[in-house]
Amino acid sequence: MSIAATADRIDSNLITLGREAVAALDGLFAVAKGAVRARVVVDGRISAARVDEEQRATHGLAWLATYVEALREMVDYGERLTAAGTFGEVEHDIVAIAFGEYLAQVFGGIPMNQGEIVRLADLGVPAEAAARARVPAVEQLITQGSTPATRARLVAAMARLEGAASTYGEAGLDETLDQFRHEMRKLALDAVVPHAHEWHLKNEYIPMAVVEQMAEMGVFGLTIPEEYGGLGLGKESMCVVSEELSRAYIGVGSLGTRSEIAAELILGGGTEAQKAEWLPRIASGEVLPTAVFTEPNTGSDLASLKTRAVKQGDAWVVTGNKTWITHPVRADLMTLLVRTDPDQPGYKGLSMLLAPKPRGSDAEPFPAAGMSGGEIEVLGYRGMKEYEIAFDGFTVPADNLLGGVEGQGFKQLMQTFESARIQTAARAIGVAQSALDLGLRYAQERIQFGKPLIAFPRVSDKLALMAVEVMVARQLTYFAARQKDQGKRCDLEAGMAKLLGARVAWTAADNALQIHGGNGFALEYPISRVLCDARILNIFEGAAEIQAQVIARRLLDEPS
Amino acid sequence: MKILVPVKRVVDYNVKIRVKPDGSGVDLANVKMSMNPFDEIAVEEAIRLKEKGVATEIVVVSIGPAQAAETLRTALAMGADRGLLVKVEGAVEPLAVAKILKGVVEAEKPGLVILGKQAIDDDCAQTGQMLAALTGYAQGTFASKIAVEGETLAVTREVDGGLQSVVLTLPAIVTTDLRLNEPRYASLPNIMKAKKKPIAESVAADWGVDPAPRLEVLTTREPPVRKAGVKVASVADLVSKLKNEAGVI
Repeated sequence: MSIAATADRIDSNLITLGREAVAALDGLFAVAKGAVRARVVVDGRISAARVDEEQRATHGLAWLATYVEALREMVDYGERLTAAGTFGEVEHDIVAIAFGEYLAQVFGGIPMNQGEIVRLADLGVPAEAAARARVPAVEQLITQGSTPATRARLVAAMARLEGAASTYGEAGLDETLDQFRHEMRKLALDAVVPHAHEWHLKNEYIPMAVVEQMAEMGVFGLTIPEEYGGLGLGKESMCVVSEELSRAYIGVGSLGTRSEIAAELILGGGTEAQKAEWLPRIASGEVLPTAVFTEPNTGSDLASLKTRAVKQGDAWVVTGNKTWITHPVRADLMTLLVRTDPDQPGYKGLSMLLAPKPRGSDAEPFPAAGMSGGEIEVLGYRGMKEYEIAFDGFTVPADNLLGGVEGQGFKQLMQTFESARIQTAARAIGVAQSALDLGLRYAQERIQFGKPLIAFPRVSDKLALMAVEVMVARQLTYFAARQKDQGKRCDLEAGMAKLLGARVAWTAADNALQIHGGNGFALEYPISRVLCDARILNIFEGAAEIQAQVIARRLLDEPS
Repeated sequence: MKILVPVKRVVDYNVKIRVKPDGSGVDLANVKMSMNPFDEIAVEEAIRLKEKGVATEIVVVSIGPAQAAETLRTALAMGADRGLLVKVEGAVEPLAVAKILKGVVEAEKPGLVILGKQAIDDDCAQTGQMLAALTGYAQGTFASKIAVEGETLAVTREVDGGLQSVVLTLPAIVTTDLRLNEPRYASLPNIMKAKKKPIAESVAADWGVDPAPRLEVLTTREPPVRKAGVKVASVADLVSKLKNEAGVI
C-alpha cells in the first residue's frame, strides 16, 4: 500500500484506510464472537445463566460491536460528505482522530466506563488473532490518526467556528434538517439557555410558556403521521430537534420524549379510535403524556411488575405503587403499565392503559381520586420533576385499554424501545455538545500563566476528543434513525447509539468541568448542572449494563 | 395590498470574519451564510401586516447566487408566500440591485416595499433610497414603527436626535431599523410547507440590467490588532503620555 500521508495528516486515503480497518475489525469481531459464544453455550444452546456469569466478556463483546459499528459509520460519513463536496479539514480531522483513538482502544482496552476496561483477552481472543487484525491500515491509523498536530488543528478550527457553526464538523444531514437545527438553536438560545441554570438551581418547572412555544414550533408532532395532525417526519428529524433542545437544557429536550413514547405506543398498539382520540392532541402539545412503568421493585426487570388493574363495570381500577415517574404532575395522560391477569406472573399478564388525569400543581400535585404521590429530589435532570406515585382505587375507563386486548402491554412497550433509545441517544449528544460548548468558551476566556487555557495541549486535547466523540455518537445515532425510518429492525443499532452516547456525554461533562477547575465545582457555573444532567443518561432508558446485556444477547443469538 | 421584501444572503452575523491572504476580500469558503438580519425584520413586518389583514400577499426577492434560494426558503418558512430569485454571480452593488428591483416593482406592482436598512456584509445602506429615486415612490428609511392608514403609511424614523414621524403616500418604500420588531422563528411545520412554495428564477439580463460592479476593491485588511497597554509610574507620567504621545489632552 502507498503511504502518501505526511506525519500528521492522512489526507486523501483516509477513507480507504478506514474501510480497510473496518474490514479487519469485522474479522476480529467474528473471532471474538466465536470465543464468547463458546463460553456461554451449554448443550448447543446459549445459557442465560452463563451469559450472566460471563458478563465481562459478553458486555465487552457488545462494546466491541459498538466500536466497529461506530467506525463503520464514520467511514460512511466521510464518503457521503466527500461525494457532496463538504468533507473539509475539520471533518477529515474528526474522522482521523476517531479512528486513531478507537482503534487503539479496541486493541488496548475499551473503557466500558472509567474503571472497567475490557480487553480482547477478556473476550477470549487469542493473541495471534488480535495480531492478524492489525493490518497496515490499522497500524497507520493508530500511529497517524490522532496526533498532537491534528488535535491542535481541530481545536483551532473549533475556536474559529465557535458561535457560527451549529456543529463542529458538518452533521451530514439535508438542508431541511439543517434548517430545523438552526431554528431550534435560535429558539433555545433565546428562550432556554439564559434560564436553564436558574430553573435547575431552584428546582423549578420548565415554564409552560416554553412548553407552549415548543408546541407552536411543532416539536411534539414531529414524527406523528400527518393524518393524525403531525408532520409525518422521520426519526432523523426527531434526533436533530432533541439534540438541539437538550443542548440548551436536558429537561427541555426530554419533554418530547414522553410524547414520543406515548405516540409510539398508540401508533403501534392502539385501536383506530384511540389513535384518533389521542394522537392529534399529543401532536399539538395540548396533551402532555407521562410514562408510568417503573415500580419500587421493578426497574429493568419488568416481568416482576405488580401494579394491578381490575375490571369493575366499565372501568379499570388500579392499585399499586409506581416510581421514577417523570413530569407526572403537569401531564394529562399516563401510559400506565399494569398487571391485568394475576395468574400470569411474567410478561404475559401485563397490559397498557391510556389513563387520563387532571393537571396538578406543586400545592396539589394529583387532584384525582385514588392517586397520590411525593417528589423524588434529584441531582440533575430537573425541570419536569420526578415522583413516586401510589394508586389506590384510581379508575381508568374500560375503553382505554391500549389496543383493546389484554396481555399485550409488554409487547407494545417493547415496540417503542427502538425509538426511545434513538431519542435518548440524541439527548446524550445534545448534553455532550453543551459540555463542549461550555468547555470551549471557558478555555478561551480563562488566562493562566499568561495564556488562555486552550493554549495548553492537555486542555485542548480534551476539547478535540469531545468534538470527535460527539460526532461519532451523532453518526451512530443518525444511522440507527435512518434504519428505523427505512422500516428496518434497529434495536441493536439504537442500543449501541444509546450506550455510546451516554458514555460520551458523561466523559464530555466531566472533562469540561475539569477545564473549569475550581469554578466548575461551584454551583454558580452552568457546567456543574451539565455534569449532573449527564449522569442520568447512563441510567435511564436502559442502564449501561442492561444495554450491553441486551446488545450481547442479540449478537450471540444471531447465527455466526 | 401586495408587499415586496428584498432579502440578501450574507455571512452569518456570528461568523468571525477572515480576510483572504491576498487581501482581495473576505474568505467565504465553508462559511455559514444567513439572511441579512435587517431583512429578517423586513420579512417579519410584512407578515405582521398580513396577519392584521392589511397585506394580502408577500413576495420575497433575492438577488445573488443560486444558494440565495436557501435565503428565500427561510423567508417562505417564516410566512412569505412566494419567492423570486434573480441569479447574479459575484459581487452586486446597490445601484444594480435597485435597478433590478425597479423592474420587479413594475412587474409585481406592490403597494409597499420593505427592505433592510443595510446589509451587514458591505454596510452600504443605499438600496432602499436608490429604489425610491428610481421608482419615484415615497421613502421612509430607518423605520422603528410603521402603520398603514388608508392610502398612507405613517413611519416613525430613527434619526440622530431621536424619532421623526413622517406620513408617506402609498405605494412607498420602507427600510427597517433594528427596533421595528423581533423576527419570529420558522416553525417546523412551516419549514416543511415552505418547500412547496414557488420560487421563480430569472437572471439580471431578464430585467435589462448589467450587474457588473462599478467599484473596484483595491484591498481588504483586517482591523489593526489592539496593542498592549503600558503601566505608568505616576499620575504625572500618565498626563505627560496622554498629552505628548496620545495627543488626547
